[in-house]
Amino acid sequence: MGIRFRNVSHEYSSYTKKTYKAIQDINLSIEGTNEFIALVGHTGSGKSTLAKHMNALMFPTDGSVEIFGSEVTKKRNKKIKYNDLRRQVGLVFQFPEYQLFEETVEKDIMFGPLNFKVDSEKAKTLAREALSLVGLDDSYLNRNPFNLSGGEKKRVSIAGILAIDPKVLVLDEPTSGLDPYGRQVLMNLFSDIHKKTNKSIIIITHDMDLVYRYFKRVIVLKDGELTFDGTPDKLFQSDIIEQNHLDLPNTVKALKQLNEKLNLNLDVYQKTPEAAAKEVRRVMKHE
Amino acid sequence: MNSIIIGQYIPGNGFFYKLDPRTKIIAIFFLMISVFMLQTIVQLLIAIGIAVVILLIGRISLFKVVRGLKPIFILLVFTFIFQIALNTEGTVLSTATMHFNLYSIISAVLIFVLWRILLRFGKFKILLFLAFAFALYFNFRYITFQPDFYFFQLTIYEKGVEMSVFVVLRLLIIITLTTVLTLTTKPTDLTQGLERLMHPLKKIGFNSEDFALIISISLRYIPTIFDEAQKIMAAQASRGADFSEGKLKDKLKQIISLLVPMFIIAFMRSEELADAMESRNFVPGEKRTRINILRFSIIDIYTGLFTLACFAGTILVKVML
Repeated sequence: MGIRFRNVSHEYSSYTKKTYKAIQDINLSIEGTNEFIALVGHTGSGKSTLAKHMNALMFPTDGSVEIFGSEVTKKRNKKIKYNDLRRQVGLVFQFPEYQLFEETVEKDIMFGPLNFKVDSEKAKTLAREALSLVGLDDSYLNRNPFNLSGGEKKRVSIAGILAIDPKVLVLDEPTSGLDPYGRQVLMNLFSDIHKKTNKSIIIITHDMDLVYRYFKRVIVLKDGELTFDGTPDKLFQSDIIEQNHLDLPNTVKALKQLNEKLNLNLDVYQKTPEAAAKEVRRVMKHE
Repeated sequence: MNSIIIGQYIPGNGFFYKLDPRTKIIAIFFLMISVFMLQTIVQLLIAIGIAVVILLIGRISLFKVVRGLKPIFILLVFTFIFQIALNTEGTVLSTATMHFNLYSIISAVLIFVLWRILLRFGKFKILLFLAFAFALYFNFRYITFQPDFYFFQLTIYEKGVEMSVFVVLRLLIIITLTTVLTLTTKPTDLTQGLERLMHPLKKIGFNSEDFALIISISLRYIPTIFDEAQKIMAAQASRGADFSEGKLKDKLKQIISLLVPMFIIAFMRSEELADAMESRNFVPGEKRTRINILRFSIIDIYTGLFTLACFAGTILVKVML
């Protein structure tokens, strides 16, 4: 069980009759548990379109997506409750402004569970749990979501999805617009959630440092086509990086520079600055 | 969104695209007055002929205009029916009793169901609708098993048929003319044209520049807000708000979940827009220069002459006949 893409394409049409393929011929398999995937690619490569297919917000124009046993194709199937698929796969959008609407944070987080017919007492406890999972304390429950800071709004919007308790969590650029510290905190949070609950988490991001450091698996899209699917280690050690207009992580870049300028023999593939410093120290001792 | 042709600009480069928007607005204004002055069906048919020739000259596909008429179709049908049913002038053409009894109502329901089923396959929706209307008429007229719950005399007068055809033709011409205007003129050009034309109204306290600015900003933001609404709907659908299903009470809540973010985003956008305009030194009421200055050319003169000829022609016809 999980999400399977079989030859999925999505074509946008416009009235000038030119069609534009946002994604084409994607074959992909995502397990229902224990995945921690980064979805990368330059702007306009079809990442968001792919994400929207994961919870049936978009239907493929060609091919099929299997979401926890339900086959989503071009045609609407009356037997499938698409709403239930969205309970299995939660999708968090980039801008929290698009979903916050209630007077209090608590009510806003409860909106999801209530839509899925959870009774309101249970929804309240779910809201509290979700809020603590994203690292905000109970004092936030009665605050107005519109008076929160950008980072806090983002967390509340994530809590709004977590409260639904989806099996798979998809996040569209959750770290964009945050300061470096906030980014770090949020990533640690996702990593914690993943470890605690064993949920599959898929995150769209542009930040290669985060990709290298946190993720188990990377999926690369280029012009709507899937060009890489594997571990971050494999990705950054290959030449796929340049072909896809992607950047190397800062640690790797810095160590490569040191190697070139000082003629050292460092192992450049270090995931954290600390590990990089250790590597430099090791080599310097030898010299 | 794409199916709405009325009021939608389609890029192209025919004769009408090169015309000054002011010319187009004035010409259509006078042509409309002319159409209202025509008094017989024959005159209107001639006017339709001229309208078709205009379309052909402008190389605007008739198909597009007809497609643009689709949303108006219901309106046309209603005008037609009301004119036929309510006009009581002239000689009687036909009179018939409409019977409403158990059998005729059952068969009417059957006809309705058949029509809805056929609609699913069909391409000839308008033809199907006409067939449906006629079937209903004959149904109530000829199924005469007693007892009737209700019956009335449907009398069709000569003048009624004439007027209904007349009104429908007139509406058709007017809508075609305005469609030509909106199809070939960018909204920004249209507002600029309106602004220049209404400029003299400044003397009576009407500021045409502000008016034009308001219109062009609203037009500019329609697709943006539409886009935003779709994003919000996607975000809320991810939280289980299904906008297509559900009970009325749930729906209300879901509509609120769409409206609140929309208002908030609209206010955010307007503030950003105001900042962006001010940082580019926009001062309300101050005189501004234009990138594209409207200029009349030779084709505008031809169009003006043509319009004048049409207008004079109709006045002549009205006076003479």
